Amino acid sequence: MKRPEIHPISLPRVPHYEMTKTEGGAPLYTLHNSTQGVVRVSFVFRAGTSYQSAPFSASTVVNTLTEGTLNLSGEQIAEGLDFVGSYYDANIDRDWAVVTFCSLGKFVEPTLDIAEEVILRPEFPAREIASYCAKRKEQLHIQRSKPEQLSRELFGKSLFGENHPYGITSSEEAYDDITPDLLRDFYNAHYNAANAFAVICGDFDQKVVERVVAILNGLPAGEEASREIPPLESVPFAKQRLEGAVQSSVKIGIPLFPRSHPDFIPLQVLATAMGGYFGSRLMQNLREEHGYTYGAYAAMINLDQSGYFVMSAEVAAEHTDEAIAEMFSELDRLSLEPIAEEELEIVRKIIVGDVMRIFDGPFGAADVTIENIQNGERNDYTEHFMARVRSITPAELQAVAQRYLQKNRSTVTIIGA
Amino acid sequence: MINYKEHRLSNGLRVLANEDECSAMAAVNLLYQVGSRDESAERTGFAHLFEHLMFRGTKSVPDFDGPVQEVCGENNAFTTADYTNFYITTPKDNFETALWLEADRMMGLDITPEKLALEKSVVIEEFNQRFLNRPYGEQWHTLRSMVYTRHPYRWPVIGITPDHIRNASLEDVKEFYERFYNPSNAILSVSAALPAERIFEAAERYFGELPAGRTYNTSEQRALEPKITSARRHTIESNVPADQITIAFLMEERGERGYYLCDLLTDLLAGGESARIYQHLVRQRQIFSAANAYITGECGQGMLILTGQITPGTSIEEAEEALYGELELLVREPVGDYELRKVQNKFEANITFGELNVMNKAMNLGYYKMLGDMSLLNGEIDIYRSITAEEIADYILRNLTRNQSATLIYRSKR
Repeated sequence: MKRPEIHPISLPRVPHYEMTKTEGGAPLYTLHNSTQGVVRVSFVFRAGTSYQSAPFSASTVVNTLTEGTLNLSGEQIAEGLDFVGSYYDANIDRDWAVVTFCSLGKFVEPTLDIAEEVILRPEFPAREIASYCAKRKEQLHIQRSKPEQLSRELFGKSLFGENHPYGITSSEEAYDDITPDLLRDFYNAHYNAANAFAVICGDFDQKVVERVVAILNGLPAGEEASREIPPLESVPFAKQRLEGAVQSSVKIGIPLFPRSHPDFIPLQVLATAMGGYFGSRLMQNLREEHGYTYGAYAAMINLDQSGYFVMSAEVAAEHTDEAIAEMFSELDRLSLEPIAEEELEIVRKIIVGDVMRIFDGPFGAADVTIENIQNGERNDYTEHFMARVRSITPAELQAVAQRYLQKNRSTVTIIGA
Repeated sequence: MINYKEHRLSNGLRVLANEDECSAMAAVNLLYQVGSRDESAERTGFAHLFEHLMFRGTKSVPDFDGPVQEVCGENNAFTTADYTNFYITTPKDNFETALWLEADRMMGLDITPEKLALEKSVVIEEFNQRFLNRPYGEQWHTLRSMVYTRHPYRWPVIGITPDHIRNASLEDVKEFYERFYNPSNAILSVSAALPAERIFEAAERYFGELPAGRTYNTSEQRALEPKITSARRHTIESNVPADQITIAFLMEERGERGYYLCDLLTDLLAGGESARIYQHLVRQRQIFSAANAYITGECGQGMLILTGQITPGTSIEEAEEALYGELELLVREPVGDYELRKVQNKFEANITFGELNVMNKAMNLGYYKMLGDMSLLNGEIDIYRSITAEEIADYILRNLTRNQSATLIYRSKR
């Protein structure tokens, strides 16, 4: 059978939001699409773990907003959301905390009634906090018997430094020191208008907009949060033995810079070529040629005050050294030879395809918007991003690789045999 | 609610089309009615290994991924106990590339000894990563072998041991391919902002010429698993970080009333933060640091699972009693209308949230076609809405008793 003709692929249309300024100062971004009868509202706060002075306090705050408020018990909140089939999600990274409510359009009002309590009037009741901390302490203990968790933690502290806000990990026992007062302090300092914005996406009307504006107006003014980001204390190599391991979890990282840096997009393209899709260099080498691994990837990671290039793979224990050697030889190859135009064309299409898939479904536009606002950009950044990816040349990429992707700048971590 | 049109090619290929309204993407899903339940007990893990081989190229398209990537597409697959599912998303104008690739590999797969050897090592690493190199990694192997004595569900999709994968031969590969990878054993479903007629016409063009192949007689692998009549119990003492208990009950086949009862029952217990197990046993009594109840969801007789990781200081016996206590409570005080409505509402919302992109819609179409009753695609919510508190209590009393359970315990040496 003859291969079908390839139709030219037009770049996806990036939805643009409307911005509403609120009296309190926390902006609201709205993206309307009316086809599927669902609404998502996200509240975003500059309240990630790098802002905390006590271990686990930032994550405990965002995760226990629903454990009890001035007018509702934790049980009532859970009941109220479950009864109308709404989703609640609390998510935290090093820089940001995001609280999301998803509901059917017909149930958006009762969902926002609860959202208002959760965002504006959490109480952090002592009994619930103690129960939460005991549970999380135990779950962290369980997580830390898994190679992927150990690998993430070892990598973070080796790349940034043991006490660096982007690399620090804490002992499970630190949960014992969490108190409601500590949580209230963190909440008051970070869950305010100076550190917040919200995004509404999906099928909603003006009433919903007004309701969310009212919630944002209920936040106290506050001051923009800041924290000291000390210089890195990277180590070139760290290894932790795991008894009886049949695989090694290997990560290789190079600390770089955030998305605002002009070389960030070229590095994203390089990371995609290296390990961003099934046909990527790491997958071809480690999985397809050598059968060392089931999965390997590379990525360019963006943080508010930093960023890094990372390669990662779970490899057969007996081939750990060979696998690391292959990962470095792939790293070198990015500098030594220009990427072939045919390969680059595939990488461009992978990246454009990924963006198109984000916009399939009603909520992808919200994720893109949140990320752009967090980085101080508008949604035309995503258009600029795709245009840049389309026009980038092999020579530019090679020059960027030569500048940054050098073995002597890297950190290698291994969890395993 | 997913709208669809159906078409059947003369070689038996079933084709379904959903005319999406808004997406720029097309999703092409191809489901083969073969899973780990169709394997022999000496060659387990084979259906999954074969799924991997389907990406290894044909004589006319040696690199499967290349043409997908050239149209900004993405593709993947998964294997279950009951079926093997391949899917490709592309910008909608290029959906024919996906049809062409799927039709090509349905007949022209070209597996060499080298390709087979390489894929075996990849799958063995997958086995290691997901089942050996992690705490509690062997739990599904153990539990399945306790619950099932005859049914092929007694092994997990990955297989009983890496040795079965190591021993797979090229002859096995050829026989499996000829037997199961045929139009008459497959379901093609497409969701895209395109007219159904256009999709059917393209399906005719790419798949119409393929020979039908033999229809596989499924009866030999469909023996019923006998009921559990006395409690089965197994304890593993190991280096796991926490004690854990998992109680399994054998369920009825999908489509039976009991299947829906179990699904709804586990949602009462664990479907969301407000559900009973979470509120009573995790939050209030702090017996578990994490707990869950769910059904494994196979088409044949699957399992209803109650499980939890036990907090330090709580005995395993107390934890076990607490789980049975929740079942007994549902018998003693049948669930009220409010709570029943809550889980029914949740089903309705989950269905809507599960149909938000073309990929999920195409996958659902193929899955429900495989079940053989398309009225279930948009009609299952009515079954859930018809379930009563008395039915649930009665079901627990008859089926979810200690005598009919298989219990796997992990005792931590910490």
